[in-house]
Amino acid sequence: MIGVWAVELGLFVLVVAALLAERPIAVGLTVAAIGILLLAARTSPRLWGWVATAFRTHRAAALAGAAVLALALPFFLRASPYWTFVATMALIYVTIGQGLNVQMGTAGVINLAGAAFAGLGGYTVGLLTVRLGFAPWLAFAIGPLVAMVVGALLFIPILKVRGHYLALVTIAFGFIFNILMNNLEFTGGPQGIKNIPTLRLFGHAFTTAPTLFGVTLPSHANFYYAALAMAALVTWLAWRLYNSWVGLTLNTLRDDEIAAKCSGVSVTRHKLLAFSIGNLFVGLAGAFYAVMVGFVSPPDFDFGYSLVMLSVVILGGLDSIPGVVLGACLLIPLPERFRMLHEYRLLLYGAAIVLMLLFRPRGLWPAGVRRYGLGSPAGSFGAAGTRAEGVGVSR
Amino acid sequence: MLEVRGVSTRYGQISMLRNVSITLGEGEIACLLGPNGAGKTTLIRTILGIVRPVTGSILFRGERIDGLTTDQIVKRGIGVVPEGRRIFPKMTAEENLRMGAFAQWGTTEVAGRLEQIFDRFPRLRERRRQIAATMSGGEQAMLAIGRALMGRPRLLLLDEPSLGLSPLLVEQIFEMIQAINRQGTTVFLVEQNARKTLALAHHGYLLQKGEIVGAGTAAELGESDIVRHAYLRA
Repeated sequence: MIGVWAVELGLFVLVVAALLAERPIAVGLTVAAIGILLLAARTSPRLWGWVATAFRTHRAAALAGAAVLALALPFFLRASPYWTFVATMALIYVTIGQGLNVQMGTAGVINLAGAAFAGLGGYTVGLLTVRLGFAPWLAFAIGPLVAMVVGALLFIPILKVRGHYLALVTIAFGFIFNILMNNLEFTGGPQGIKNIPTLRLFGHAFTTAPTLFGVTLPSHANFYYAALAMAALVTWLAWRLYNSWVGLTLNTLRDDEIAAKCSGVSVTRHKLLAFSIGNLFVGLAGAFYAVMVGFVSPPDFDFGYSLVMLSVVILGGLDSIPGVVLGACLLIPLPERFRMLHEYRLLLYGAAIVLMLLFRPRGLWPAGVRRYGLGSPAGSFGAAGTRAEGVGVSR
Repeated sequence: MLEVRGVSTRYGQISMLRNVSITLGEGEIACLLGPNGAGKTTLIRTILGIVRPVTGSILFRGERIDGLTTDQIVKRGIGVVPEGRRIFPKMTAEENLRMGAFAQWGTTEVAGRLEQIFDRFPRLRERRRQIAATMSGGEQAMLAIGRALMGRPRLLLLDEPSLGLSPLLVEQIFEMIQAINRQGTTVFLVEQNARKTLALAHHGYLLQKGEIVGAGTAAELGESDIVRHAYLRA
């Protein structure tokens, strides 16, 4: 148990150092430490095995430790509102990633319009609060629902196509959304919607800097904690779904639709279910983004972001709940860290995906095998262990 | 049990089945013989509602099932081993089997049925947490049959279950089919292996170019000239 916490603490120190290191010596030390760690993981299967077993046996302790460290992060980043903001974005992408993973990873329904569904959530909040004077919390609750309902309408044409054609339909939807937002009068056109009111919780506005344990944190810490709660909730829901009968049923759509039908699965109903749940999560993240930034405009939700969302899921591992978390926490902060490379950062995405396909085709943290407790039909918690050795897992 | 009355189907302009009628009695093993491209799989798909008949009707236990969706049809008590087996490749053996009892999901019955399938196919118990795609052809065939049985079907449709298996495994599969039938499940077997199939079946049909060209008891079919020349090479 102590070992698990020590490993987590070590990783945490490394993450904070990687984010904040500015002086050449500090940067050098951090890079060296990460390099040694990766090398050790790669060359010493015993070390790796020990860590994996420790985390599996002390799952609760590991989760508690991770929660404490996640709660503590803003205190270490308090000198830099910018990195607090980036950490919050990573959590927003965890939420989005879980949504897309339900669609693409679990049910095999490709969605290349993630940004548009996030935009639907965000724009709904903007329009309802600024144009119609809705209470922020109410608008925030309606945003994800709008994303889900529009997704269900789009589902009618989606049902007739699959595979590459499905990808094209969703791409088209993403562009239609963007063009509409750019050209419609009431959405503010290219100007977008400004001055979206912020949320208040027990009288505390999210824009005022919070003071916790006598330490004043940047105002972005409010959103960090809210995003942490949102990402944790969505991840927990996704985990429950994955380990339920529904998750297994959605897997059959991904694997073989005809066989699924022959087992009595209603393909239409379950695809719609997966698509709606996914869009609900993505719309939630979009609504959150809108109240955090206080401003939405078409470029915030263009096709490029759909690809980033897709990359999060693929990098982490399709159908892998922890993989999505890892993918978002790597893919969002890293390009910010490499901001000095300017537009070349986009190459990083491409390179990361190609390297992934070459070396870890099932993702950085591949999906595990569900465990079924004897006598519990719905399956129990805890999908530990990797799937059968040698199925494209390259170690 | 199952009655197909004058069913015709087409894929676009091409007519696949022409006026096909078959009848399956309760507790029987009936077989469907015919060369590649005769329309055997199309007939199975039509019974399952994956392909819609242009004319004709299909009755299962006295009720019309043509026009229903596939999931509604199988829930009435039809188990399927589809052409090419179509196991769920990325799921484990156990997950494949559990999906067979989809209609009973969430009930405590599933665990008991799983144990019964594992008793029948001990090999699958050993492989329960293995990804199905990595299993051998014979194991996959057992998995497909086990999955179909998990739903406790009254009627089991088997579309070439022995395809691509070694003679020893083919023998085993046929023995299993017989055992399943003896426990009261009606079996409709589509096969290329005419000799073995006729030895097993009570009666059968011969399909050629989308039309039924012969019907009768297994013995009668075995004697008929078409079967003897085309399949038994006698």
